[in-house]
Amino acid sequence: MNRDLNIKVHHLTRVEGHGNIVVNMKDGVLEKAHLSIVEPPRFFEAMMKGRSFHEAAIITSRICGICSLGHQLTSLVTTEAALGLEISEQTRLLRKLLVHGATLQSNVLHAYFLAAPDFLGAGSVFPLIATHKDVVLRALRMKRVANDIGDIVSGRAVHPITPVPGGFTRIPEKAELLEIKRKLLEEALPDGLETVETMKALAGAIPQFERETEYISLKHPDEYALYEGAIFSSDSGLIPVENYLDVTNEYIVDHSTSKHAKYNRNSYFVGALARWNNNNSQLGDEAQAAAEAMGLKPNCYNPYMNTIAQVVEAVHCILDSVRIIDKLIDNGLKNEKPNQTPTCYGRGIGSNEVPRGILFHDYTYDNKGNIVAANCIIPTGQNLANIDDDMVKLVPEIINKSKAEITLALEMLVRAYDPCISCSVHLLEVDFIE
Amino acid sequence: MAALTVIGVGNRLRGDDAVGPLLIDALATLPDLDLELVDAGSDVLGILEYFEGRKHVLVVDACCMGKESGTLVSFDPAQAELILDKDPMSLHGLGLAEALGMADSLQMLPGNLKIIGIEPDSIQFNSTLSPPVQRALKLAIEKVQAEVQQLSVREEN
Repeated sequence: MNRDLNIKVHHLTRVEGHGNIVVNMKDGVLEKAHLSIVEPPRFFEAMMKGRSFHEAAIITSRICGICSLGHQLTSLVTTEAALGLEISEQTRLLRKLLVHGATLQSNVLHAYFLAAPDFLGAGSVFPLIATHKDVVLRALRMKRVANDIGDIVSGRAVHPITPVPGGFTRIPEKAELLEIKRKLLEEALPDGLETVETMKALAGAIPQFERETEYISLKHPDEYALYEGAIFSSDSGLIPVENYLDVTNEYIVDHSTSKHAKYNRNSYFVGALARWNNNNSQLGDEAQAAAEAMGLKPNCYNPYMNTIAQVVEAVHCILDSVRIIDKLIDNGLKNEKPNQTPTCYGRGIGSNEVPRGILFHDYTYDNKGNIVAANCIIPTGQNLANIDDDMVKLVPEIINKSKAEITLALEMLVRAYDPCISCSVHLLEVDFIE
Repeated sequence: MAALTVIGVGNRLRGDDAVGPLLIDALATLPDLDLELVDAGSDVLGILEYFEGRKHVLVVDACCMGKESGTLVSFDPAQAELILDKDPMSLHGLGLAEALGMADSLQMLPGNLKIIGIEPDSIQFNSTLSPPVQRALKLAIEKVQAEVQQLSVREEN
């Protein structure tokens, strides 16, 4: 079909930050299809220079207003690598519990408030509140359990305060952990399984589009990797975290203020679907059953299924949190002090899986424990080239649809990646009724 | 239960957007105020949890009201149209307007909810407040003190 098509979605809504979708087709030839990022760069790396190792995590946790925990933990891991700070098994377990809470929260909110309205053709979550009150309350209940984990383990639900380099400044009480366990089993688990049912009912509305790409995530020999592991590419296998620059290969494009990344191909995918594709065999029976119920299979190449992978992970996080709490209590909670005595100075590289994908921090410290260089590579930046490549394949496949339908398909595609371009400001805009 | 719950919303690293959290810091240093203080950061949806079971809630946020920088307006959300998802700076999935809209639909709004909105001068990345918003912060502290006093007088009667 020799069609002309011009789509420009200015400031895509329901995506965290500023992104524009631009598609140009002339005489049936696609000239342009990309996500243009107009969010100004924030120069966090420059802000980090000269800061002490006590401050690094506090600053970087503000990179994102919602998923502050991910940046905080990656920052701590990075500082510990640079300064040779060993952490205890208890610290490791408490951090894993925090990661589960944050992943549960982010995945559930994305599925219910950003993706489900698309599957229901509702435009936004607001028309759904009145008609699906129980579903909205369920999402909020799950968010609350996740917040409780943050509150109890990290001292605060947003911008945690007790996790510091080398450990925690406060260890939760046994009774507090048991209360979280009770809520996980009595509230979050039934809600999580109901969520699977809800998403199963919506699965028919998920667009059928496939593009096989390179999937990159952490991988760990003993568990579904979220807190730790080595980098794994579905194309070329394991790479040590220290060699992350060989993977990310950041480069600049004209249409984005955010850098793009590529490894073995033109682009790669990070996030829940990449983790699922690379590590699904390490999930427990309940999460596997959830995946099967919602139609998510290993080697899934449909980016819209990222949301479904997120729901599978939510089930995993609920159950694995219970396991971690049991282990912490079995081991006996110890009132440990954080290990903050550096054994070396220099460069450290850290990586965690945060809800939107693999995150890297890289700091170099001088011998006073102050930062001289920093680099942070966020998941959304790594996904941008992959989103563009999806668009280039998707647009010709759906070119016979109306412009409105194509636009919606593209918006849904971008939202499926759950991009967090800049979630930093909440400015309320008000018109007074005179 | 404290007489009044005060929730500060905003990002401490975005210039005048920090005014909500900074108000919470300032109130925490004042003695003898029967307040529950919540620094919600940018997790606006999280504030819904602090509506439950509370009668009197005050939310403080930088607000784009088209007024002079540092202007402080205390209002009932019912008196104003909170603009959903149009402000390019709050395309963050959900902002305060969305959270309040959601609370309203779910009948979760507290009986007495007020917003203290402060018009920012700049929300660029910066760790200090602009002079007009610094002045507004002082006014906001006085507002909260007056509000608590009023509530305790009402309670006594």
